[in-house]
Amino acid sequence: MLFRRTDLPLHRDPSGRFLPWLIALMVYLAALALVCAMAMGKMVERWDSGLSGSITVQVPPPETSAPGAQEAVIVKVVELLLDTEGVHSAEVLEADEIATLLEPWLGAGAAYGELPLPTLISVGVDPTAAPDYRDLAKRLARAAPGALLDDHQSWLGQLLDLARTIELVAALIVFLVGASAVAMVVFATRMGLAIHGRVIELLHLIGALDAYVAREFEIHALKLALRGGAFGLLLAIATVALIARLFERLESTLLPELTLSPIEWAALAALPLAISVVAMLTARFTVLGNLGRMP
Amino acid sequence: MDGAALYPARAPVSCLRSLTAERKHLPLIRFEDVALRYDAGPEILRQVSFHLEPGSFHFLAGPSGAGKSSLLKLMYLAQRPSGGRARLFGRDVTTLTRRETALMRRRIGVVFQDFRLLDHLTALENVALPLKVGGQREDKVQQHVAELLAWVGLADQIHAYPPTLSGGQQQRIAIARAVVARPSLLLADEPTGNVDDRIAVRLLYLFEELNKLGTTIVIATHNESLVSQFSHPVLFLSGGEVRMRAAPAAAGAGTGRAGGGSAA
Repeated sequence: MLFRRTDLPLHRDPSGRFLPWLIALMVYLAALALVCAMAMGKMVERWDSGLSGSITVQVPPPETSAPGAQEAVIVKVVELLLDTEGVHSAEVLEADEIATLLEPWLGAGAAYGELPLPTLISVGVDPTAAPDYRDLAKRLARAAPGALLDDHQSWLGQLLDLARTIELVAALIVFLVGASAVAMVVFATRMGLAIHGRVIELLHLIGALDAYVAREFEIHALKLALRGGAFGLLLAIATVALIARLFERLESTLLPELTLSPIEWAALAALPLAISVVAMLTARFTVLGNLGRMP
Repeated sequence: MDGAALYPARAPVSCLRSLTAERKHLPLIRFEDVALRYDAGPEILRQVSFHLEPGSFHFLAGPSGAGKSSLLKLMYLAQRPSGGRARLFGRDVTTLTRRETALMRRRIGVVFQDFRLLDHLTALENVALPLKVGGQREDKVQQHVAELLAWVGLADQIHAYPPTLSGGQQQRIAIARAVVARPSLLLADEPTGNVDDRIAVRLLYLFEELNKLGTTIVIATHNESLVSQFSHPVLFLSGGEVRMRAAPAAAGAGTGRAGGGSAA
C-alpha cells in the first residue's frame, strides 16, 4: 500500500486522456488491415486450390446454323482432350450451368434465349503431370477454330498480385501504426518529463537512478496502450463481425471468407500487446535518452 | 522516543564499514578553492575552502543572499563547482558518473528550504520515498516511517496530503523524509524557518541524535539565537567566502559532537 502509488502523477497529464484513444484508433486500423490481408490470402488459396486441377476450354458458337454442327465440334474437341496425356476428364457444361455462372453479371434468366453463348468444357488435369498447354491449344484451334484454352494462370496471377499488394499495404499500415504509436509516446513522454521536471529532479536528489524514473513512465505508457489497444481491438472485431454477416447475406462466391483460424485470432490479439510493448519500450528509452543528456 | 527506537538496531554491515572508513581516513567533505557561478552570471561562491570530518555537526550561517543555499547545493550534488576541487566521501564530485552520483545522493539527506514534498502523496508516502527509491521492501519500512512521523509530532497526519497541512507541518515531513534513510550526511536549509521555537529546538535535538549515531550534519540557518543555544561550530559565509567560527558557549542543551572541521 505504501509503495503502490506512483511517485510521478502521470495519470493527471493530458497524455492520459488522448493517448488511449489514439492507440485505440491505431490498433483498429491495423486490425482491419490484418483481417483484410488474411481474408485475401484465404480467398487466393481457395481459388488456387479449386482451379489448379482444372482448365477450361471455350468453344465459340458455330457461324452456321446447321443442325448438329456444334455438337459434332464438341465431340471432336472432347475426344481430343481425353486423348491428351495428363487429362483425366472433360465435362461439357450444360446451358443452365453457364447461365448460372453469368447470373451475377447479367441477372436471372438473361442468359437464356437469343444470346449466342460459347460452349464451356471443364477439363480435369493431373496437377503433377499437366499437359503442354501451348501444344494443346494449337491442336484445339485446329479441331475447332476459335476454341480457347484457359488454364486460369493469367487470372490467378492477377489475383495473386492483388493479394500480395493488399498484404503489402496491410504490412505498411501496421508499420505506420507502430511508427505513429512510437511518435505519440515519444511526444507524450517528453511532455511528461517537462511537466514533472521538478518531481524528477527531487527523485534524483534523493538518489533515484534514471531507470527508476523511466520505470514510472514505462508502466504508465503500458497501461494507457493496453487500455487503448484492447478497445481498438474490440471495435475491430465488431466491425469484422458486421462485415462478415453482410457477406454471408450476399452468398457470393466472389467475396472472401471472414472466418479466422485460431492462429489468426492469436495474431490479432497480439496486436494490442505488441503496440503496448512498443509503447513501453519507447517511453523507457525516451526517458533514459533525455535524462542521460542532463548534467 | 529516543534515537535507538527511531532507527533499526542493526545497520547494514556495509554501511557501518563505509562509515568507519570515513571516520578513520578521510574528511567527509573537502572543498578546495571551490567557486560557483550560474551560467555566465557573477560568482556566487569563490575560493571556498573547508573540510568537515565524519560525524561532525556544523551550522552554516551568513547574511541573506550570501550563498548558503548554493553551498548546500554543491554538497548535495545539485550543482557542480565551476572552479576548484570538491570531494565528497573521498570522491572528486566532477568525476562521478550519473549512477555513482545517484548512489552517493542516497547517503545524503536534504531538508529543502521549500520542502519539495509531493502533493499527490500522503505524509507517510512522502517520508517513505527515499526508502522506496533505495529499493527497500514496503513491509519493512511502514512502522519505522510511521514512528518517525510520530516523533516529529505528526502521528495524526500520516495520511494527510501536504497541501492540507500548515507550513510547519510540511517542514517536519520534509525533515522526516531527509532522515528516514539514516544518511551519512544531513544537509538542512533553514529547517526551522516555519516552526515555533519549541518545535525548532525539538528538531535540533533530532539532528543531534542523528549526529550521535554518526551522521554528519550541516544546518544552514540565519537564526542566531538557535545557533547560540547549541554548542556547534559555525561555517560563516559572507561575500562568497567561508570562515569557520568556533563553537559558541552553549546557552541551551546542545549535546552533539562539536567541531571536526576547518576552513581556510
